[in-house]
Amino acid sequence: MVKITIAQNILAANDTIAGEIQQNLSAHGIRTLNIMSSPGAGKTTLLERTIERLRGRLSIGVIEGDVETSADAERIEAAGAQTVQINTRGACHLEAHMIRDALAQIEVASLDLLVIENIGNLVCPAAWNLGEDTRVVVVSTTEGDDKPAKYPQMFAASEVMVVNKLDLLPYVDYDLQKVKRQALAINPHLRIFELSCRTGEGLDTWCEWLITVVKGVRV
Amino acid sequence: MHELAIAQSIVEAVEAKAVECNATSVKGVRLKVGEASGVVTDSLSFCFEMLVSLNPVLAGAHLLIDDVPHRAYCRHCDKDFAVTNFVAQCPTCQEWSSEVISGTELQIIEMEIESS
Repeated sequence: MVKITIAQNILAANDTIAGEIQQNLSAHGIRTLNIMSSPGAGKTTLLERTIERLRGRLSIGVIEGDVETSADAERIEAAGAQTVQINTRGACHLEAHMIRDALAQIEVASLDLLVIENIGNLVCPAAWNLGEDTRVVVVSTTEGDDKPAKYPQMFAASEVMVVNKLDLLPYVDYDLQKVKRQALAINPHLRIFELSCRTGEGLDTWCEWLITVVKGVRV
Repeated sequence: MHELAIAQSIVEAVEAKAVECNATSVKGVRLKVGEASGVVTDSLSFCFEMLVSLNPVLAGAHLLIDDVPHRAYCRHCDKDFAVTNFVAQCPTCQEWSSEVISGTELQIIEMEIESS
């Protein structure tokens, strides 16, 4: 019996592909976001509203991850962005090789911003690097105010947190300050946006930030 | 649920290394798994056993996991401390300016093989 030293990250194969994706997109001057949340927090609606507001200012491409259906890709395409749908057929997260394959179907050179909408899940997507520049976690006022404490890895791994459905605050028992406190305790550098995709409140600030990101001002 | 995908990544990496080393069989694999890596080690062991039972080179290989605690270092106090629930606040000075020094590991350390 012989012992062989391996000393490599378990997800090294994924990280290698993610590194190639990031290099390729950066070479084209494209910024990439990986958007994650639990199901129903409003990732797709946030993208729809963002694409509508930034029409003519930013060219946005979207990779839509869902377990099944192309419903979200159809919504995004209708909003006016180049879209590729990935169906994972049961898998709980996207992996870098899926993004590489999806990119082959996008006219990358024409983009300013690529947004990857991950599978609705606050656990698994945090472990897989997809070649993104920035990770955004979306939470909403209807899903309970204990999400950062319950799913800390997701908040530790993100640079940005969006709190959506602000318009519903008067009707739900959601302590916004508590959510922010919990999230910042896990990740003191987290940049936070509070908005409502339904009323449009806070969307301008979010969109202006996206423009600065694309112009190369890092978070 | 992603433990199956992680177990699959381990099997693929070990199998590639085994071929490289002309191994006839892999008897054991040792990992380092951090407390903050998001991996449930019981589930990972279960998925690993299931996958190796289907693999001619790795059949019967045992999995050894070294758990790594989540710890951070406080520059202000020049001390390291245990991180609880991902909150890296120094228990002595209450500063947030600490840096995580361990607990996010997800590594294959070594394998035991038999070769021809």
